[in-house]
Amino acid sequence: MASLSVPEFKSADPAPRAKAIVEATTHYNNPEILARVSENLGEPMVGINVSSLPESEQLAVRGW
Amino acid sequence: MKIGVLALQGAFIEHIKILRELGVEAVEVRLPEDLAGLDGLIIPGGESTTIGKLATMYHLMEPLRDFAAHKAMWGTCAGMIFMAKEIGDGRSNHGQPLLSIMDIVVDRNAFGRQVDSFETDLDVPAINNGAVKPFPAVFIRAPKLVAAKGDTQVLARLADGTAVAAQEGNWLVTSFHPELTGDNRFHKYFLELAKQKTPNDERRTMNSVDN
Repeated sequence: MASLSVPEFKSADPAPRAKAIVEATTHYNNPEILARVSENLGEPMVGINVSSLPESEQLAVRGW
Repeated sequence: MKIGVLALQGAFIEHIKILRELGVEAVEVRLPEDLAGLDGLIIPGGESTTIGKLATMYHLMEPLRDFAAHKAMWGTCAGMIFMAKEIGDGRSNHGQPLLSIMDIVVDRNAFGRQVDSFETDLDVPAINNGAVKPFPAVFIRAPKLVAAKGDTQVLARLADGTAVAAQEGNWLVTSFHPELTGDNRFHKYFLELAKQKTPNDERRTMNSVDN
């Protein structure tokens, strides 16, 4: 899973971010829960741009 | 009549739509306080492990068990697994949180993978009101009823004898997804169960006296 180019897996701390996304989906209409689960998730995925990915890292080329 | 649909994950909106078409007040349940004032609760299809984990995380397990002790509850597909006392497939999924209320044993993903999903007509005498009209049943990566114990009654079987719907007091379970067909007879049947105010525990006691 670590090689997937999906934002939560390339963030600083993927597991809490993935858990927060699941909780945020369930409670999408509850601002208090959305605010709470969005705290302390660390850095999101940064600095990976599809146009600068080497061909070997592109899912369209290498498959998944 | 006010019916809740557990809306942690899965096919809850389809149930809500049918309930509203039937003129019933329908609410989404995500937190324990959402159960207040409901006459019955539907647990929808989806991923039973995800539903169980979210129910645990948001402190719903005990409130759901308390609710079921006094009110009608209907589990479709994943909801059936979640209500079961036992998963009997022998695979390593026993860490998943279950309500463990209904005296049934279920086998998850019992018909195979997503590509093995299918639709078939079922004979369900309980919902027919005398007329003979098959119910179009949609099975999506569905569970099977391996065993229906105690007071549990099987309501429908596939042609090969596999049990796919059952009732115990005012608890109902279906392997398939009645909310995905245009046929609302199972929803009407559940509303009748929700009107019965006798708690399941008392009904069991009365039954044993009758016997």
